[in-house]
Amino acid sequence: MKASTAANKPLLQVEELSVSFETSMGRVKAAENICFDLHENETLALVGETGCGKSVVASTILQLLPNNASVRGRAIFAGRDLLALSEREMARLRGNEIAIVYQNPSLALNPIIRVGQQVAEPLQVHRSVSRSRSLCLAKDMMSRLGLGENGVARMYPFQLSGGMNQRVMIAASMILSPKVIIADEPSKGLDNALAGEVMAEMMKIKNRTGSSLLLITHDLLLARAISDRVAVMYCGEIVEMGVVSEILSEPLHPYTAALLKCLPEKGFQPIPGSPPSMIDPPDGCRFRPRCQRRQEGCRKRPGMVEAGNTGVGMGREVRCWLY
Amino acid sequence: MLALLRAEDVGKTYESGMVFKRRHQVLQSISLEIEEGRTLGLMGVSGSGKTTLGKILAGLERPSSGRVYFAGEDISRLRGSEFSSFRRQVQMVFQDAEGSLNPRKSIERSIHEVLGLLKIPSREWRDRTQGILEMVGLSDELLCRYPWQISGGQNQRVALGRVLLLNPRVLILDEPTSALDISVQAQILGLLKDLQKKKGLAYLLISHQAEVIRFMADEMIALDGGRIATAEIIDGL
Repeated sequence: MKASTAANKPLLQVEELSVSFETSMGRVKAAENICFDLHENETLALVGETGCGKSVVASTILQLLPNNASVRGRAIFAGRDLLALSEREMARLRGNEIAIVYQNPSLALNPIIRVGQQVAEPLQVHRSVSRSRSLCLAKDMMSRLGLGENGVARMYPFQLSGGMNQRVMIAASMILSPKVIIADEPSKGLDNALAGEVMAEMMKIKNRTGSSLLLITHDLLLARAISDRVAVMYCGEIVEMGVVSEILSEPLHPYTAALLKCLPEKGFQPIPGSPPSMIDPPDGCRFRPRCQRRQEGCRKRPGMVEAGNTGVGMGREVRCWLY
Repeated sequence: MLALLRAEDVGKTYESGMVFKRRHQVLQSISLEIEEGRTLGLMGVSGSGKTTLGKILAGLERPSSGRVYFAGEDISRLRGSEFSSFRRQVQMVFQDAEGSLNPRKSIERSIHEVLGLLKIPSREWRDRTQGILEMVGLSDELLCRYPWQISGGQNQRVALGRVLLLNPRVLILDEPTSALDISVQAQILGLLKDLQKKKGLAYLLISHQAEVIRFMADEMIALDGGRIATAEIIDGL
């Protein structure tokens, strides 16, 4: 299911991205100093617990944040900073070159338009394909995702299950073969068997079209199954990044290690404590209050460092004073 | 061991259509037993009838055929205070904890609502609330917050706490952790195990996750198209 790890040039470069929201309860620091590259034909998984800021990163890249957000940093795609583009320029790009699959299809799909038309719409808007031809292509894409039964394309979202709507979303996002697909919890709401089938089909289409995938998920097993590299987020920061097999077999950051212990194969060992407030996060290392390996020095803010001296592979980065 | 809750040949059929009635059989000939202090896992893919069976066992829906017995009594014959007592002792915990709490009530009011229904004198509410928060591992800082202001795991703990105030003997847990992150899932599963050990609760754990069932359950059954599945289907799941 995996594409070979790409050592080619980055297609999308996110540099020093920080996002905060002004709320009645205070300033929520949703993402801070996020840096990563997404290469051609690569799958990068952004993993972390709910509320750690992963979806905020995706929405920022596509300029889909609400008015109370303030953003710093850059997201370079095809030589242009996406965060500096006008709404008109972004509208041309969204769906056409960068597509997003949302985690909640019942909110993302239009309830009064037939699903076949919703899958066909990007072809009509961005490529000026005729209505009848685009509907044919939409049905073809839907059947590849297991929605080929008679009449499904003529149904409305409320007539389909959550899993079927999720597949409609995926079909609509991939029909233009965008260069970058951002999939925000694409398997959420699907049972294990269906999630496996849908993700396998999605990866087949991705590999055929040569798209890159930024997978946003809290599901470590899904990340392990389909991604080349993984970036682990905690409380708005990336704490560890590298090749997925290395990170999952030999985690360096204590949070990554603790998260892996929660997996069924490790006996569901919980992480003590709960995630901190993002309005008033702890000083220094944000994982310090829950960390079993904390020391006095952790009161200072750690930076992201290359973990070259730890015996692990190249390109491994970690945000921890232990390294 | 005493079977606290027992289903005997339970079936459920729904009808649809105004003129041309169509019948959908969602459960057929289901028999099972849930014993005190033990966990029965119930697996199956989406749409196999797991939640419908859970609702029938909790007395929230009537079976179209068959019987459900609680502590040896046929629940269809229970009336008035006897039925209320059964409903108190067999409680259901849902997947969407936030959705099962009233969004207009603070956590404190949601807990107090249960204490009021139990006719507990209001002078005892503070201590009882404190006790239940400790039991489910929540801080009293959350009391003034609303369900949408706290995390999914915290909402699930509040939902569990409200249920535990009723001193139930059987909990029907319908995908209690499938909407939660793995770290929170691990915390809730640990909490459920602790509570079972302390209070001798019987659980029917409904889940589509084989690992969760394997971790929690003493025995398991699986549903396939509304029937108890064969061993081969279970292997596939």
